[in-house]
Amino acid sequence: MAEKTDSDFEPNIVAFLCNWCSYAGADLAGTSRISYPSNVRVIRVMCSGRVNPLFVMNALQEGADGVLISGCHPGDCHYMHGNYYARRRFNLMRNFLEYLGVEPDRVRMSWVSASEGAKWKEVIEEVVGGIKEIGPMDQFRRRHLNW
Amino acid sequence: MVDLTKLRQTAKEVISREDVRELIGYRPGTYGFRARPAFVMGLDEVEQLMFTPACVNNLASYIVLEEKLPVKRGEEPDLRKVAVMVKGCDSRALVQQMEEKAYDRDRILVLGIPCRGVVDMAKVEARFPNILELGEIGLEGDKFVLSFNGNKEEVAKEELVADKCLRCRYPTPLVYDQLLDAEVERFADDDYADIEELGKRSAEDKWTYWEEKFSRCIRCFSCRNVCPMCYCEDCVLGRLQPQWMRRSVDISENTAYHIARAYHLAGRCIQCGECQRVCPVDIPLMELNRKFYKDVEELYDYEPGTNVENPPLLSTFKVEDREDFIM
Repeated sequence: MAEKTDSDFEPNIVAFLCNWCSYAGADLAGTSRISYPSNVRVIRVMCSGRVNPLFVMNALQEGADGVLISGCHPGDCHYMHGNYYARRRFNLMRNFLEYLGVEPDRVRMSWVSASEGAKWKEVIEEVVGGIKEIGPMDQFRRRHLNW
Repeated sequence: MVDLTKLRQTAKEVISREDVRELIGYRPGTYGFRARPAFVMGLDEVEQLMFTPACVNNLASYIVLEEKLPVKRGEEPDLRKVAVMVKGCDSRALVQQMEEKAYDRDRILVLGIPCRGVVDMAKVEARFPNILELGEIGLEGDKFVLSFNGNKEEVAKEELVADKCLRCRYPTPLVYDQLLDAEVERFADDDYADIEELGKRSAEDKWTYWEEKFSRCIRCFSCRNVCPMCYCEDCVLGRLQPQWMRRSVDISENTAYHIARAYHLAGRCIQCGECQRVCPVDIPLMELNRKFYKDVEELYDYEPGTNVENPPLLSTFKVEDREDFIM
């Protein structure tokens, strides 16, 4: 295990944001000049229900220390109920990762609407803070990234 | 115990029916106490059929694994039924497959066998090693009776029975056209004690445990191939575009394989234990599957393979599902 008290550790966070709410919310945070930690790499998907648990697993393999999935608030989904499916999926995924000994807080989920630029900042700060506490992902990261 | 004459008589009646193409059952293996699947196409093959506690295979897998060749022009597809012999656990695989609309109920004819438990072949072979002649196992009350080489030995049921049978909730098939024996009352239940014990350990402990198990995996894909629920024509585990896991056998790819395999059985695994039985390196795969089984039961009050009318777990939702983990 790598040392967990490394204060210089800057985590990589991959965030899957839904096109209609969370991506617009993150955009609003940008246009409102709210500054938030730059550890997050945003991937836009059409709906949080599009996020396959394999995406999360692959992100963790390929060097992400944490993954955030963010979608519309329940009831607000552009596709009626994509976020409800995602909720079931990632609840199971988190419990399973915990069972394997991977910290479940590496996979976080949030509801951020298009008007919640300030909430987006809070979410990111909480995720980055949490991952900094947990430390680098070293359970099943790919060892040879350059082949 | 199932009466062999009755079983063969029923099989004869079934296979003589116009609308039945084949019957999948059990026949003696070639050595030791083993039994193997039998694919009966005609009356002359019926006499080899049997059922003993050595019949461990889940025959529900063969229904979905059969290759469906394209029908030639001008020919009609063969729509005759497939008859299959199932124990209680195997019948749940049929229910789950039909729940997922893998086939219609009228495509299969189910001969249900109420089951009091099957043996764990590994335990039998550890106790009676190197038996090359064909032996036989019977179940009489609380004892397995093993006859081989002219000997007859009685062993207490707990010593040889498969672990899954000690947790079996449905010994009598949940779906059947004909029952070959009297119904069996539920004699065991699952309290998930081992899963809870493992879940309570520290994260480092758990990962050390699983790292050792996963690093043994040689990715032979036996667990996927034997599974009655793994019948996708294009499996993500073998797909090259996108390639979710690389072919190198290291801890990262092995973990990814086992996460993906177990997750694809979330809310679908019916606890037949075939994956763990066939694993050549003894990875406790059922401990992964049962974690999902437990979570699904506790969080969503859903038990796979019990009701054909249920919609599959992950393609439904309830507005009031738990979301205390969401920020």
